[in-house]
Parts: sequence; structure tokens; C-alpha cells
Amino acid sequence: MEDWKTNRNVFWTLATPGTLWLIAFFLVPLAFLFVLSFSSKAMIDGQISINQYDYFSGLTNYLRSFNPDIVSIFIRTLWWSALATLACLIIAYPIAFGICFAPDRWRPLLLMLIVLPFWINLLIRTYALMAVLRDNGLVNSALGAVGLGPLPLMNNTFGVIFGLVYVYMPFMVLPLYATIERLDKSFLEASLDLGGTQFQTFRNITLPLTMPGIVTGVVLVFIPCLGTFLTSELLGGTSSWMIGNVIQSQFGPANDWPFGSALSLLLMYATFAVLAVRAFLSRNSKGVDV
Amino acid sequence: MTVHRPFPRFTRRSLLKGTGAAFAGLVLSPRFAMAEEEKKLSFYNYDTYIGETTLDDFNKATGIEVKLDLFADGDELFTKLKAGNPGYDVIVPTSNVVERMVKANMLMPLDHAKIPNMKNIDPSFLNPTFDPGRKYSLPYQWGTVGIGYRKSKVEGAPDSWKWLLDDEKYAGRIALLGDQEHAIGAALKYLGFSYNSTNIDELNKARDLLIKGKKLVKKYADDNGQDLLAQGEVDLTMEYNGDIAQVMTEDDDLSYVIPKEGSNVWEDTIAIPTGAPHPENAHAFINYIFDGEVGKGITKTIMYATPNAAAKALMDEAYQNNPAIFPPADVLAKCEYSAYLGEEAVKVRDEIWTAIQAA
Amino acid sequence: MAALLKPGQGPLDYGKRRWLRAVFVAVLVMLYTPILVLIAYSFNIQNRGGIWKGFTLENYAKAWHNSDLMSALLNSLSIAFISTIFATVIGAMVAVLLWRFRFPGKAAYEGAMALPIVIPEICMGVAMLLFYARTGMMTGMTHLPWPLNLGTPSPSPTSPCFPFVAVVVRSRLVGFNRQLEEASKDLGASEWQTFTRILIPYMMPGLVAGALLAFTLSLDDFVITFFTSGPETVTFPVKIYSMVKTGVKYEVNAASTILIVITIVATVIAMKLQAPDKAGH
Repeated sequence: MEDWKTNRNVFWTLATPGTLWLIAFFLVPLAFLFVLSFSSKAMIDGQISINQYDYFSGLTNYLRSFNPDIVSIFIRTLWWSALATLACLIIAYPIAFGICFAPDRWRPLLLMLIVLPFWINLLIRTYALMAVLRDNGLVNSALGAVGLGPLPLMNNTFGVIFGLVYVYMPFMVLPLYATIERLDKSFLEASLDLGGTQFQTFRNITLPLTMPGIVTGVVLVFIPCLGTFLTSELLGGTSSWMIGNVIQSQFGPANDWPFGSALSLLLMYATFAVLAVRAFLSRNSKGVDV
Repeated sequence: MTVHRPFPRFTRRSLLKGTGAAFAGLVLSPRFAMAEEEKKLSFYNYDTYIGETTLDDFNKATGIEVKLDLFADGDELFTKLKAGNPGYDVIVPTSNVVERMVKANMLMPLDHAKIPNMKNIDPSFLNPTFDPGRKYSLPYQWGTVGIGYRKSKVEGAPDSWKWLLDDEKYAGRIALLGDQEHAIGAALKYLGFSYNSTNIDELNKARDLLIKGKKLVKKYADDNGQDLLAQGEVDLTMEYNGDIAQVMTEDDDLSYVIPKEGSNVWEDTIAIPTGAPHPENAHAFINYIFDGEVGKGITKTIMYATPNAAAKALMDEAYQNNPAIFPPADVLAKCEYSAYLGEEAVKVRDEIWTAIQAA
Repeated sequence: MAALLKPGQGPLDYGKRRWLRAVFVAVLVMLYTPILVLIAYSFNIQNRGGIWKGFTLENYAKAWHNSDLMSALLNSLSIAFISTIFATVIGAMVAVLLWRFRFPGKAAYEGAMALPIVIPEICMGVAMLLFYARTGMMTGMTHLPWPLNLGTPSPSPTSPCFPFVAVVVRSRLVGFNRQLEEASKDLGASEWQTFTRILIPYMMPGLVAGALLAFTLSLDDFVITFFTSGPETVTFPVKIYSMVKTGVKYEVNAASTILIVITIVATVIAMKLQAPDKAGH
């Protein structure tokens, strides 16, 4: 890595577009959100206003966020996101592995087969999933034909987690594929030649070397899961609200944008905490550069 | 330190303003060149809530091209317009949303002189509490909230909210409307309180009832309970009457009843939001809708109760005497309009709704 | 372990393992069944019961004549295209910057660049809504003629996309042998020549993967556009959302099928275009 002073022109050329974009279309809008989170609806003529705000009026919105109902929805969100991420990892790893070790000419096609459904819009896919999972849907009709079921596949927790896995798996497959493909196969050969079993090789060689891909994949899946509100709304039952649904309701029916802003920012901070833990762990691991 | 400036000083603001004005001039000038508004109109409505050919016919009659954009519920409409009207001319807010929007200066007063077809409106609709004198809104459709059910799967008519909220018999075969206004409102009605209660004890009782009843309910549906019913996913659903009436035409096994405790009666209105780019066209469109024949065309498609007396008179008797569309007066007497209760009440209800979702 | 291997199967021929193939097939079935059902139902006669009533093409005719639905489709594709270009270029530049240079405040800069990934879409949507409302862009831009009016919804999906591209490209760059670059410069190549001839070809798989990801994300974007679209800039998902929420319509299936076909055709073309390039390596 070189110091930025060694080649200032290149440095500034590379740095300018991203930085400007980030400021104009990201940090400035975020600043609006930040300001609003410390605001409250203005009182006008003794009535709470619908669309006027008192800016910087205190921490009320943050204090309200520690209401037990909100906390329990928050915990539910973390738990479900973790489950969905784990399921994605377990399914995606063998898939990515299989693609990487497939014959060269098959590889792009296989990768495309896995990735193609994810080019289809999330909403359309969720809509498609609903038609398959419902009580009289394809799966339960098939089960019914052999005298089984119907199984409750949606309008419950299973539905939400299945939906999340279905929707976000490419974010796991792609980075895993990228790292496994780069993996130096001679390490594996060496391990096997030296008498290591397949399992030992996987545990001691493959897994540590592909850890960067795993970490990237976990982050890429876990984070959108945290902000979910469509999947939980469409595939969930009566106890399926995640924090995204609460936020949406604040910007919709409840018309409490300041509280919604505070919740959004808290969700963001929680994500930062996850990332900090990840950064700490990777610093202590054996120097795997992510 | 003074700096000599050879050129007039441009602040960033003035520069932006200048560029903006130049740009606007470039784009907008053809509009000003014309004597009247361009022949365009942007209509923001619920889906399947207008006659199949109404917009095309309006285009043929006036040359104005209507762009239809859809919202899923009144809250979405409100959120969208709250941040500044992005270009809608005619919108369809429900009565309580009208009240809220008027308070927030989000609606443009109507010029009644430009809507001569107002004479077709049933006079009983002309002075509602939410919009005295109809300054901002005109009645588009009205209806009730009740219970849609599958006759072959349910013993007798489910004529009480008890069937949905407080009876194990059909556990897991029930859908409720998934919004705080109606779910909490129905629970309040069942407990003998007002749909619009702001009493915290009453609201807490409704909350406890709904939390206890969660195990009975399969889904808090987003206004698609009629589909869940038609697909056989549920046997009982809380829904708007017109939605059930639409699926009843496809399936004889379905029916609709208003619970004996009373329910909600609602009115969707037609209004012009502040900042509408084509207010003249908007008035012309509103006037067009209240024409008798046009109103009939709309009603035939969407099967809701019309406040357009001329249109109703043109419909057949099956429609005029349909109790699912026009409930008997004694039933209607027990139903309440949803009122706009103020932001504090909205907040309380939202907290209750969150608690129900969290439980 | 060897007992599990069939004759002619080396220890590294994981691609030939039966169980791996079984997992692969199972996942494909899971992925494609809902989509195939969706496509099949686009040919179904409209009914609310969700049962098969018979073959028809009427849904396609309906979707085709629904000019609002069609313009939403066009808007979605245009926005995805525009924001993919922006996201890929900016994302790749950021990736190279972070990979190549050491500079003061780098950790903070990296953190800021990761922000758009970590922020929930819904916050982003509302933040953009506030931003457009306050700067007057909401009411100003939407009246401009197409495609200038896409100026409001287009940046929204780009912001979360370009850091994704940066992540993907950078994880590719980690394996780059810097001596190649030095060799190129030693042989008299300029900074630009080195960049275009050495670095970009090396980054290409990362760029393609990143661009695909960006395109996916943009087409996927519902939440942000939901908040920032006006009557002329409604995108396909926003349109679908309002249609789906109020009932089953096979018109939606038909339009979705059209989008799926467009996607597949575009993919095949992209693969064909890449093929000779691959052979050249």
C-alpha cells in the first residue's frame, strides 16, 4: 500500500466522485434524519401539529424506544435475522463450493442458474412464494395428494425466515464463490496428500481460507434482514412484526416521523455494533485480510 | 482584508436559484405559451376503484389524458403528500384523512361553480361533520366494514364480532383488517364502546381482547381478506363490503354481514391536493364523475354504494336493493364514522397496536 | 474416504459428489418452483380463488394495454440501468482507492463508505424523502420531461449500490499481485495505461459481479423509490405493490413474466458478449 502523497493526482481522481456522491445523496439526507430524531411535533394553539416540528427538543424519542414492546420486537428482529443468515450460509456454502469445482465450461451457467432468480424483483418473488406456500398452494396440494398436511408454511415465523432465505441467498453465494474460486487448490491437495481427511482439510484449510467470503456474506445477508418489513408483512402471521414494520408504521399510520427517525438510527447503531464485533474478531484471527 | 471582485459576486444560493429559474423557464415556457392548462391530469386512487372505461371516456370527451397512480391505503396517500405534492391533481382520501389533511393545509378548496353536477349528489351527503359545507371534498363512494364468510364452513351467520375476536370455534380460520383504526375499532365495538374511543381504559380493554384473540387470527390482512376468503385460506374475514361484494359475484358460497354490535361506516371522497399542477382539469374531471351515466359506469365495476343519486337511479333494482351494499337503516344507525381524533389519540392507538404486534 | 469415491473421481472432484449435486438440485427446485408457478398462472383465466381455470392470453393483452403498468416497467429498467452505471464506476474507484492508498482518517472514511450498506432501506427512503422535500427537488424535478424526471428516483438506489460494488471489487483486488503493476510501470506504461491494461482486466470478474449485484439491487429497490416516486416516476415494484395489496391479478403475473423474460434475454446476451473475451485470456 502506498501513501496518498506519492501520487496525489491519482488519489484525488479516485477519491472525488465517491466522496461527493456520499455527501450529497447520503450524509446530507441522513443529517435530516438525525435532526428529526431529536425533534418532536410542534404544539400549535394547544394542539399537536400534524406536519410542523420543534427541532432539537430533547431525547423523548430515544427514551420511548426502550418501551418493552419495542425492545421485544427488536430482539425478535435480531434473532430471526441470525437464523435466516445461518440458514443462508448452510445452504450457500455447498452451492458455491460445488460451482467452483464444477468443470470450467459449466461454471458460468451454474452460477447464472443460482443467481438468475435474484434478478427478479423481491416483491414479485415474495408474491410468487405466497402462491406456493399458502394452505391451498402447490406444496400443500402436493402433500394433500399423498395424504399429508396441510402444513402451516406461511403466516408464521417459518414463512418469514423461509422468505428471507429465499430472497437474500445470492448475497451469500456470490462472495463465497468469489473467495472459494480464488482458493489455491494446491493447499487442499497438499493437505490430502499428507494424510488429512476430507473433514480435517475442510476444517483446517478450506474454512479458514474462505473466512473472508463467509464474513462478507454474513454481513451482506444479515444487514438487509434487519431492515426487513415486506417479507414479515406478507409472509408473517400475527406475531411477525420486525423493527422495520414499526418504523414503517411510524412513517405511515402513526405519522410520528421523529420517533420513526430515532428508531431508524437506533437500528443503524445496532448494526454498527455488529460490525464492530466483527472487526474485533477479524483483528484477533490469524491475519486474514478481509 | 478586502478583496477586489471584478465580477458580481455569486453566492451559491443565487447561483442555484439562477440555474433553477433558467431550467424552469426552458421546460415550462411552452405551458405558459398556451392559453389554458396542458391536457393532462394525474389521478391518485386505490386500485380497481374506478370504472373500467371511465378514464378513456373522459379523454375522448375532453382530450385530457389521465395518468392513474395507485396507493394501497389512506396512510400511504397522506405520507406521500405530506412531504410536498409531487404532482397529483385529484386524490381519493377517506373522510378522516380529509379532516387531517384540511388541518394540515394539504387540500385546495373546491370551486363549486365549476362542478354543476354537484346537483346529482344525494343531499344527505352535502354537510358532513368532517367537511362542513363540502368546501374541500365531495363524496365518491361509501360503505361499511363487516364480516365476510363462507357459508358452507360456518354454522349460521356470524352476526357478532364475537365470532372473530372471542370464540375458539373457528380458531386459525380468521383474518382481521391489519390496521389500527379498524382492528381496534371492532374490538371497542364488541366491548360496547365507541369506534372512536379515546378513553385509555376502554382502549386497554380492547388491547387485551385483541392480544388474547391473537391465537384465533391467522393473519392481519392488508385489505386482501376477500382473496384469502375466496382462496379458502380463511372462512371468516373482516373486510369492506364492496370487496366482499366483488368476490360474491364469483362465488355463491360467500356472504357478508354487519355485526349486531354495530361497525364502521366510511366515506371515500374526491379532492384536490394543494399544489396540484392542473386544478382546472381536476375540476372538470370531478364534474365529469358526478354525471349520472358516468357514475353508473363506475358503480357497475366497483359495486360500492354511490352517493351519486342520478347514478343510483340508473342502476338496476338488484343493486339498489342489495342489503350488502345499502344496509337497512336500523343496522346503519349502529355504525359510526371514523373521526380524526387528533395526533395524541393517534399516538396512543399506535402504541396499543405495537403492543399487540409485539405480544 | 476413498471408498466413497467412484472410479475416476479424484479427491478434489467435489463437483462429482452425489450429495453436493443433490443439494444443488434441491436448491434449484426451491428457487424455481415459485417462479414457474407465477409464470404458469400468467396464462390462467382471471379468478380470485387461485385455482386453474384454463389457458388464456388475455392477461398479457390486459398488461400490455395498461399503459401505467408499462411505463412503470420502462421506468424501472431505465433507473436500474442508470444507477448500475453510476454504482459500478464509483464503486470500482472507491475499491481501488481503499486498496491502493494509505491516508489519514482512512478507517473513518471506510466506515462512512460502508454506511449505505448498513443503513436499513426504510431509513434511507425516508431520509431521501426529507432531503427531496426540503431542497424542493420533490416538486421541482418530477415535472421535468422523461427521462430527466428520473433524476429523483435514480440516485436513491445508487447510494446503497456503489458500496456493494466496492466490497465485491475490493475482495477481488486482495489477490492482485502488485508486482504486475510495478512491472508495467517499469516498462514505461503510464498510470492510465497500467490502470486500463492491467488492473481493469484483473478486476473484471469483480466488476461484472458488482454490476450484476448493483443491477439486482436497483431493480429490487422498492422501499426507497416508494418514498421518492411521483406520478410520472412510479417504478414497477411500487406499481405491483399497490396492485397486489388489493387483490390477486394475473395481469401482474403477466407483466412479471415479461420482466423475467427481459432479464433472461439480457443475461444470455451479456454471457455471449463476455465469451470471446474469456477465450482471449
